[in-house]
Parts: sequence; C-alpha cells; structure tokens
Amino acid sequence: MVSELQSSSSLKTDEMIINMGPQHPATHGVLRLIVTLDGEIVRHVEPVIGHLHRGQEWQGQNRTWFQYQALIDRVDYLSGMFTSWALSRAAEKIDGCVVPERAEWLRVIVSEMNRITSHLLWLGTYLIDLGAMFGFPFYPFREREKLFTLFEEVAGQRMMFNYIRIGGVQRDPKPDWFKKLEAFTKDFPDRVDEYEAIVTENPIFLKRTKGVGILTKAMAKDYGVTGPCLRCSGVNYDLRRFKPYSVYDKLKFDVPYFDKDGDTNDRYIARIKEMRESNNILKQCLDMIPQGEIMAKKQIAGLRVKAGEGFEAVESPRGVLGCYIISNGSDKPFRFRWRNPSFSNLSCLPELLIGHPIADVMAIFGSIDVIIPDVDR
Amino acid sequence: MTEHGAAAPKAAETPPPVGPSGQFLKDHGISTQPLPDSAGCETAEIEGKDLATAIRLLRSSSEIALDFLVTVSGVDSQDTFDSVYHLQSYSNKNELVLKVRIKKADIEAGKLPSVPSIANLWPTANWHERETYDLVGIRYTGHPYLRRLLNTWDWDGYPLRRDYKQPVDALNDKNPHSFR
Repeated sequence: MVSELQSSSSLKTDEMIINMGPQHPATHGVLRLIVTLDGEIVRHVEPVIGHLHRGQEWQGQNRTWFQYQALIDRVDYLSGMFTSWALSRAAEKIDGCVVPERAEWLRVIVSEMNRITSHLLWLGTYLIDLGAMFGFPFYPFREREKLFTLFEEVAGQRMMFNYIRIGGVQRDPKPDWFKKLEAFTKDFPDRVDEYEAIVTENPIFLKRTKGVGILTKAMAKDYGVTGPCLRCSGVNYDLRRFKPYSVYDKLKFDVPYFDKDGDTNDRYIARIKEMRESNNILKQCLDMIPQGEIMAKKQIAGLRVKAGEGFEAVESPRGVLGCYIISNGSDKPFRFRWRNPSFSNLSCLPELLIGHPIADVMAIFGSIDVIIPDVDR
Repeated sequence: MTEHGAAAPKAAETPPPVGPSGQFLKDHGISTQPLPDSAGCETAEIEGKDLATAIRLLRSSSEIALDFLVTVSGVDSQDTFDSVYHLQSYSNKNELVLKVRIKKADIEAGKLPSVPSIANLWPTANWHERETYDLVGIRYTGHPYLRRLLNTWDWDGYPLRRDYKQPVDALNDKNPHSFR
C-alpha cells in the first residue's frame, strides 16, 4: 500500500485551471490570464483582454479633430508623445501640410525624452515583477521625475501632454529649459551605470532571466512583434533607421540589435542600451536645433483635414505605433484605426509561456513591456 | 452622436496605374483593382476568394517579401464593408494595402458580411480579425476562435458601424440579454 502511493506513476494527476488577474499586482493594468497548469508547468494560456477598453476608435470618429487630439495621449499613457506624433504624421500626410523644421527637432527631443521615461518605468516595475520589492524601483523613478518636471514646463502636463499637434508643436520652450535638459543629459549616463551596477550582474537577476522566454525569429515575425523584442530576436527593424522620418536621418545613433533568439535578459540589455542612445540623440539635438516657426496649422476648434486616407507609423518604445485615418474633409474623421505595438506583442504571449513554470509567467510578461491601455484602447 | 449621413470620401475619377505588387499578383493570375491613396502607398482591391492565395504569394516571394502584417482593420463605408490589410516588409521598403469590399446590398438581412480568414496562415491576423469582428461586425469565415475580444461576450451590436446606437444604460447593465 505504501509503496503504491510512493510511485508517482500510479498517482492520479490532473491539469488545473487557474485564473490570474484581472487585478494582479504585476500586470500594470487589468489583464486576465486563464492558465492551465500541469503541476507547476504552464500548458495553456488564454489572455482575456478588454477590461480597459475605452472605445478610443469610436471616440475618434465621433469627436472633432481638435477634441480628439487632446484625448489620444491616453491610448498609451506612458508614451503619449508617440501617439500624438503618429496621429499628427498621418493627418499631415493626408493634408499635405509641411511641418516647420524647428518643430520637427522639438518633436524628436520630447519623444526621445519620453522614450527614456517609458523605459525607466519599465525598469522599475520589471524589477518589482521579479521580486525586488524594496528600494530599487525608486532609483529610475528619480530620473523620471526630473524629466516629468521638464515636460510639465513645456507642455503643462506631466503625462497627458497634448504637445505634438497636427502641423507642429504647441509651445516653444524657453532657453532656460534647454539648459536644464543639457544638465540632465550630462548626468544621465552615470545614473544608468548606477542601475546597471545593481541589476546587470546580479546573480538572482541572471538566474531569473537567462534562457527564459525565448522568442524565436520566426515566431516574432509570425505574430507581428515589433520594438526591442523584435530587435532582440534577430530582425534589425527600427523605423527610425529603416524608413527615417522627421529628422532622424541627420542624427547618429546605434540601434541595439542581437543576432540570435532573444531571451528575457537580452530584452533588458536592449532597453538599457536604448536609453543611452536616446540620451545621445538628445545631446545632438540640443546642438543642432535651428531657430524658427513651430506651427504650420492654426489650432482652432474647427480644425479640418483634407479628404483622403493614409497610414503612418512611428517607432514608439514598444514598437511600431501606427495610425490609419480616413478623412472626408469634414471636422470629424470618417474612420480612425490604431495599430498598437502592445496588441501584437501580447498576442504571442500564450505561445511564449508554454512549458515555463508559473513563477516565470510574470517575468516573461513583464519583459515584453506591454501597456494594457495600449492593448485595449 | 453617430451621424448616419457621414459621407465617405469620394473616389478619384481615374484609377491609378497598377503598382509593382499588383503587377506581381497579375503575373500569378490574381486580378486586383488599383485604388487611389492620398498617402502615396499602393492600394488595391481584391476579391475575397483570392485573398488567402494572394497573401501567401506576397509573403513568400523573395522580391516582394511583404512579410509584416501591420494591421487588419474594418471600415463601414457608405455602401460597402471593407476589410483592410496593411502589409509591409521587414527587409525592404515595399508597402501594400489590400482591401476586400463587400457590398451592403449583397448581404442577406440579419447576416454579417463575410470575408475569408487568414488567421490560419498568419497568427498576427488572429487577434486583429477578432477585434474587427467585435467592433465592425465582419465575419471571418474559417477563423479558429471568432469571438468578441475587447467588448464583453454579451455586447449588443457593433460599435464602429454607422448605424450603431449606444445602449441606453450601458454602465448600469440594463442589457436584457445579460446574465450578470
């Protein structure tokens, strides 16, 4: 009898279905995962999304251009500059409106600042996901706060900027602002060294991330994954380099890229490198920015865009953020469609998690840097 | 709120010439109709029955190599339902917009417009098609798991259609079909 119980083959084992979320401390938003477990190993995952669905596309086609411009920072609230930029570029392309050069440079500056804040938040919360609950998350938040103070000065808001508008940018920063930003860019590489000293060589961190959540090249291409996740999986695809828009062709910067099947640790390294590169871009912009006009289109409540349709995309911190607009020449868009990087990146999660222990679920989910409002819109 | 009479943008009088991808498809025996696009990107209309073959050819060909499906979107136009596929490439600068148009007059009363699904050949399309089904109400035939993605399963109507009316009291859940 005793020996019978001890042999595992005769024990009755069964798969167990567990519900993770929607309110889970590590999902940064409301994502529900229905996980089928065999012991500790994940066998099947079904993400249930839509808890944060706010009907952004419906709002787009039922509000005027001017009203909707103010709303779109909420699509991806950690990188609001990029959502505004995607919308503005699509609308400008349809409208045939030429953006003044100074405005283009200002757009690059604020967007790269925004890329840094977005990656800093990812770094802090990712370490929380891995269990470093105390202390570390506040190191990146310190630098993030400095940038938010600068954003507040130029856009009037810390996160919901409404700064990049159709035809240009809203305000011209004072000379003093550029000096503050310059001081930040001098300081920032040392701060990144500080994070790396704590995290990169940390044995616990390496154990949790090396060889975990391997995203192969074929899988990344199949699922339309973009951004750092794609570049870690052997596809060197960055819109800033591949199809240079705005003034990116005048700037010198590296795109972090790994020619292999990337794991969680690679994605961490890529984002750290991206922050350093963004800092380099900021330095160059501060030297090269010309004087001049910043707005080509009058910002009035009756703002109209010519009839036509078009798709335009920018490289956001999470990947290709695009905007497909059909305009009929009236004060409201006819159809509005967002192409969100998080939506496609999240769709590969079920395949990525299979075969991993349940403790790795949040480590892998965190490493693809998904923002749930960006998925649900 | 939703304007029934919101006019769709008018098509240009003369269709543009056939682009490189359209020519490629023509060489392989698939006919497409070039459409105007103000952003300068090649746009073509294709029959629903040819869609899967065309997508497979475009994706696997080495010179066209449209291997990045950016998005699948649904549009409720004036007298058609459009399923729009934005294709790009990871290795070159080709771009193509494919449109499958279903005339509203051809749809039987009480039925949804139906377009063949490409989710089985391209996993990206899986969620995008589910979302379009949810919001615009296009049925993708052959989809492995076609159910609402962003709205709750018991939602009434398709929010991005022109004739959609908001539920009277959606927040407090007065939906008569709901079991909640």
